[in-house]
Amino acid sequence: MRVRPIRIFVILVASLIPITLAAIFIFLTLYSWPAIQFNGVHFLFGRIWDLGNLYRNPVMVHGTSVPLGANYGILVFIVGTLATSFIALLLSLPISLLVAMFLAEGVQEQFRPALSLVVELLASVPSVVYGLWGYAVLIPFVEHFLGPALASVAGFIPFFSGPVSSGYGLLTASLVLAIMTVPIITSTVYSGLIRVPREIKEATFALGATRFEVVRKVMLPSVRKNVIGAVILGLGRALGETMAVLMVSGGALNYLPGTIYSPITTMAAFIVSQLDSALQDPTGMAVHSLAEIALVLLMIAVLVNIVARALTGGQGHVAYG
Amino acid sequence: MKKHSRNLLSKSAALSLSMVIGLVAWAGSANPAQAADQVTLLETGSTLLYPLFNLWVPDYTRANPGVRITTQGTGSGTGIAQAVSGVAQIGASDAYMSDQQMKQNPDIMNIPLAISAQTVNYNIPGLNRVHLRLNGPVLAGIYSGAIQYWDNAKIKALNEHLKLPHKKIIPVHRTDGSGDTFIFSQYLSFSTPSWNDSTGYGTTISWPAVQGGIGALGNPGMVQASQTNLYSIAYIGVSFHAQIESAGLGTAVLENRAGRFVLPTPRTVTAAAHELLSKTPTDERLSLIFAPGAESYPIINYEYAIVSKRQASPEVAAAMRKFMLWAIDLKGGNSAHYLNEVRFIPLPASVSELSRKQIAQIQ
Repeated sequence: MRVRPIRIFVILVASLIPITLAAIFIFLTLYSWPAIQFNGVHFLFGRIWDLGNLYRNPVMVHGTSVPLGANYGILVFIVGTLATSFIALLLSLPISLLVAMFLAEGVQEQFRPALSLVVELLASVPSVVYGLWGYAVLIPFVEHFLGPALASVAGFIPFFSGPVSSGYGLLTASLVLAIMTVPIITSTVYSGLIRVPREIKEATFALGATRFEVVRKVMLPSVRKNVIGAVILGLGRALGETMAVLMVSGGALNYLPGTIYSPITTMAAFIVSQLDSALQDPTGMAVHSLAEIALVLLMIAVLVNIVARALTGGQGHVAYG
Repeated sequence: MKKHSRNLLSKSAALSLSMVIGLVAWAGSANPAQAADQVTLLETGSTLLYPLFNLWVPDYTRANPGVRITTQGTGSGTGIAQAVSGVAQIGASDAYMSDQQMKQNPDIMNIPLAISAQTVNYNIPGLNRVHLRLNGPVLAGIYSGAIQYWDNAKIKALNEHLKLPHKKIIPVHRTDGSGDTFIFSQYLSFSTPSWNDSTGYGTTISWPAVQGGIGALGNPGMVQASQTNLYSIAYIGVSFHAQIESAGLGTAVLENRAGRFVLPTPRTVTAAAHELLSKTPTDERLSLIFAPGAESYPIINYEYAIVSKRQASPEVAAAMRKFMLWAIDLKGGNSAHYLNEVRFIPLPASVSELSRKQIAQIQ
């Protein structure tokens, strides 16, 4: 049978996606190769990020030319990225589930489109607007109200004990990320919930379940895979979020957060704020190390997606047959 | 009927497509005629120099309509990087380039346009109207975590008549590549040998781990971070004095090399400049930090325009030479009318002459 040109064309266009992903991976690996060789495994576990003395002559270390005293370690940024994303999901998941349940079952059918539109509009707000809002409103709020309140209530746990020195930090960044991920998780879970067949719900009602029991015991378990998929989507956004976090995180350097009020830095925010400094390194090792940070971030994102695939058994959505 | 509507659809599609092509062609042809008269210059970099450029540009472009200058405040690191890469014609930087960078980029020049200064500011409730006495070793102690509380013995020793609170100090530093970081860390390095050995100076340095230390972006970010965080300390360029005042921050008196405590006034800044101006080399890369002299303010610097000797076209080169000569002219950009607003001082005559020689090399 003759292969139609349209088929070849479609295959070519469709294969652009895996090709692009592979190209990004390959580009990042090649571009950061000198740094990968110089830094080794110490890169992931080193607490100190030091560009070295850029105003003295570079030295030769293990055959590569680097600034004097250069030492690249990104443990602080890995911890910052994972901590903010994890806490953000911890905050947004219960809220999103409750909102989705409310939208699916708690409101009358005629109001649903309008209310779900409101939720989706939250997702379309540009992240830098969230960052600006966080900068102007959330930081003073956390410093003067939420932080001290949390410290007095949960202060017996070392992680939540004061002093709340400033509004910049892990708590504020996580709050901003939580607000940004709520609409994503809500709309995904909501679209799964409204697809649960009516027969299942009616059968459960017939057995004498209350409305909340129907949702909790039958509908939510049936959209378990949707929820996991939604969490992964939200996690993906949280991991890569740059500008909003940069404005509220506090730009910590060389120390790990001791409490939830500590300033932190995430990998994405760090790359942005450091790029022009890195360009001043005459040996170029700083820029290669920044590219290595990007590579690590990409690998974390891909790893998260692989775990999601494993948990959902290879299917993004449940197909009710 | 169907055939008619299909015809109509394809006809209107063809018509709109041709209109779009026509518009694009017309727009494309209209521009070259304008571009020939107008030269656009991009200035980017130091947030310390940015307020002065924003005073210069409107007046200069009104007097010279053939030139358009865009200004950005992005940090000295960006200024240097973009001037070297050619994206920006003028890279503003408080920091001169390193020897290695000069070797790698022999076409790049560092041309001082004015002399600026930097203040150390703090936010201590009740003490913001008082000038706290601080010096290099104490600041190095604060930024390295050795001195953690405001009522530390070393700070009390300098300020015996003040009641200092027992509160943790929040040191604020710049996260972006910053000329302010460069001059501040030079002050710490030149005055404190232990800081020089451990951390050193640069537009980006590896700030020692201090729990709670905050990084801010740009001078505006430093003002904001200091304002919103009680008991914080920050280094801010003197061109932001108005914002510092409206934020209600305190300004420190710093100890100079002669052991006297001074504020950045025109007299103290000029004194420091005059002590060192004879040392200025032809490529004008010189640190003015921690100058000798009883009246000298310790943190002053040349404000550099990082420019390339080779420009894209003779018109651009001519426009740049004209602008920069105006900028360093005592009757132009270096007049009191502009400099007083940002509390800079004009270039001394000998330095201005060196700048003129470098500007002449822009082709």
